[in-house]
Amino acid sequence: MNEVEELRPVGETTQFIVIKLGDEQYGIDIKYIDNIVRMQHITRVPKVDDYLKGVINLRGEVIPVMSIRIKMGLERDVETKSSRIIILKLEQQGTIGVIVDEVREVVTLENDRIEKVAYDSKDEKANFLCGVGKSDGGLISLLDLNAVVLESV
Amino acid sequence: MDVSQYLEIFLDETNEHLQNLNTQILSLEQDPENMDTINEIFRAAHSLKGMAGTMGYKRMQTLTHDMENVFSEVRNGNIKVKADMIDVLFQCLDALEEYNTNIRESSDEGTNDNGALIKRLNDIMSGGAGDSAAQAGQEQAPQAKAVEAAAPEGFAGIKLNESQQSVLNEALKQGKGVYGLTVKVQESCILKAARAFLVFKAIEDTSEIIVSDPSSQDIEDEKFEQHFSLIIVSEAELDEVLTAARAVSEIEDVSGGVLSAEDVGTAVTEESHAAETEEPVAETAPVQTPAETPAAPPAEAAQTPAPAPAAKKAPVNKPVVNRTVRVDIEKLDTLMNLVSELIIAKNSLVSASAMSGNSSQAVNEQIEYLESVTTSLHESVMKVRMVPIESTVNKFPRMVRDLQKKLGKKMELYMSGEETELDRTVVDQIGDPLMHLLRNSADHGLESAEVRKERGKPEVGSIFLDAYQDGNNVVIEVRDDGNGIDTKAVKNKAIERGVITPEQGEAMSEKEIIDLLFNAGFSTAKVVSDVSGRGVGLDVVKSMIESLSGEVEVKSKLGEGSTWTIRLPLTLAIIQALMVEIGEEKYAIALGSIQTIEDILPSDVKLVQAKEVIQLRDLVIPLIRLNEILDIPSRKDPEENLVVVVVKKGDKLAGLVVDELIGQQEIVIKSLGKYISKCKIISGATVLGDGEVALILDANSLI
Repeated sequence: MNEVEELRPVGETTQFIVIKLGDEQYGIDIKYIDNIVRMQHITRVPKVDDYLKGVINLRGEVIPVMSIRIKMGLERDVETKSSRIIILKLEQQGTIGVIVDEVREVVTLENDRIEKVAYDSKDEKANFLCGVGKSDGGLISLLDLNAVVLESV
Repeated sequence: MDVSQYLEIFLDETNEHLQNLNTQILSLEQDPENMDTINEIFRAAHSLKGMAGTMGYKRMQTLTHDMENVFSEVRNGNIKVKADMIDVLFQCLDALEEYNTNIRESSDEGTNDNGALIKRLNDIMSGGAGDSAAQAGQEQAPQAKAVEAAAPEGFAGIKLNESQQSVLNEALKQGKGVYGLTVKVQESCILKAARAFLVFKAIEDTSEIIVSDPSSQDIEDEKFEQHFSLIIVSEAELDEVLTAARAVSEIEDVSGGVLSAEDVGTAVTEESHAAETEEPVAETAPVQTPAETPAAPPAEAAQTPAPAPAAKKAPVNKPVVNRTVRVDIEKLDTLMNLVSELIIAKNSLVSASAMSGNSSQAVNEQIEYLESVTTSLHESVMKVRMVPIESTVNKFPRMVRDLQKKLGKKMELYMSGEETELDRTVVDQIGDPLMHLLRNSADHGLESAEVRKERGKPEVGSIFLDAYQDGNNVVIEVRDDGNGIDTKAVKNKAIERGVITPEQGEAMSEKEIIDLLFNAGFSTAKVVSDVSGRGVGLDVVKSMIESLSGEVEVKSKLGEGSTWTIRLPLTLAIIQALMVEIGEEKYAIALGSIQTIEDILPSDVKLVQAKEVIQLRDLVIPLIRLNEILDIPSRKDPEENLVVVVVKKGDKLAGLVVDELIGQQEIVIKSLGKYISKCKIISGATVLGDGEVALILDANSLI
């Protein structure tokens, strides 16, 4: 995911869903998104990591849900009317839900408008990003989903 | 021809045939004279050859072809079955197995020609033929001659029964043509039956087939060499029919002749007045097409050989086969999922009607009806997925036979309950653990013949594999009459390996010591052999069985033998469970593991070694407060009576303290997925009637 330019040939476009976590905007590559559902009751699973909030029932399937905020070291989620759970389908981890504060829009970015971020080990948040996209609505931090859902050791 | 779509079927059927061959050759070893067994082996080898040829696996075809040749000689009585021959045959099966594995992995049979094996097969052939040539010579000669004579005779050799005769006579009266046809299929033809079918079809366009030799069933089953003969009734000219039949590819030749009323009539009289057949047979000759077989043979020969081919075909017993359909296991999984969904929907209906409060009797009745339907549906689907463990355990006699040679010990495997059924997925996975236990018994359990003699035991050691159903479980026992487990040796080994300290060893009971065997990195055999691994065995057995939600136990008596008991649940997907409430959360506990439910006064809880216990009918049962383990604040007043669910694991009991009981419910087990796998005490989740998710507590891991 770090080799953004190589993966996405120049001239082509990628679509992202723009979400909000606190004041910042983040983008999630649309190809990983299976579904977006409203906040619902999450059944807590005991004895697991803090960021794993539990499991939900999505059309009969039991799906784990995690908090990006806790994983990224932000403040805990506050459930509001605009809170959503984004269901991701990943190759390695399978289906997993992430809680976001708000889902704003879908943007289409030309690949030459996506910039790789410089790796900075001090900034913990940067570890979860794979690039920054320049859109009309400002800068969007593009989430590296594999890093986000990776089990912390 | 693109055969890839048949690959799955090919592999499945090859496996079946190989298994069959294994079993049959084993029984042949016991009873070398049994013609049924020999025939069965011949048939299986023949089918394998045909299948391999069709799929284009030449090496496999060559090997099976030579095996088939050997059996064909055995069947004709030219070779006697000997021990070394059985060995070679088993090696052939292993080689075939290897081809099969290669094909499964890469859809290519590999490059191993197994030339050595083929040579040994041929040696058996030539050696055997030499031996018996003299004795067989006498009876063989006339028979061979007879068959030779019969071959070119073709359709004229067909015998008609009375009803067929009357049909033919009727047709003749109506002015239709009655023809006899002899069809010769090319030698290289692979799908003979298919070609024959096409010929039938071509002929049926214009004509009606009255008789065929061999019978149409045998032709369908490819039970014919290169020729088959037909008698047909047609309104078309003979040439027309012949052209149609010849148009089918891979048909070398079709010859035919017009049959007169005389032929038809005498066909039956042939039986009573053999001599009379002379003329009619000769009569057919002039009509035969030029490319046909030489003119009708001397009539004298025709009389005797005619019944011969028929008689030869007769003893081929048709195996009794159940009518079945092969279904992809994935389709069954889908069906199972749908049934699960249905049960969840039913559960929500139940809770919705209870919630609305105005449940009329009619609604309740319908819900109850729905409930009984879904339960039977679930049971039927489960049954469809159930297969006898036979398919897995059938390979064990062969394995024990090999072990016997390898280890130089005498042993015998007795199996019972092979028909016991289990879920398909469980049956597929139970093979390896069982194999391990059997090897373990053979290698570590049984003593050598000399030691056994000294101890006054029969020289041949016995290993038993018994399977039976016990309530909602299936029990599989592996038992041997060997040495049993030497607990002292195990203890010393464990101390030596640093698994336990000597002090711990002193305090351990025999049972605890035996349980050490399931520890990773433990092998008590003094010499590491390639039979029972390097101590990676028993812990793997245990974890494999636990992954199937089963459990394994050992009982052993030094000097008398050991018994390994595997207990597996019948079904994995849908279970009856007790729903309980702890704090604000709902949990399910599998009904199978629950012993009793008790109401306990807080004052009855005693402390033993700083652990809470209760005393129940002379049993001291440790208490587990679920709210503490699950990190939930309990809603109950400590002064109130405790609700204790007593659960059982093997012969250990524990009391789980819950806040409240909700009731019994049929639940569908869903996996939490690998993403949440850290939590050992939760074995899965289920969706409740109101759409919420409840977690399933794994009582086994709590104890």
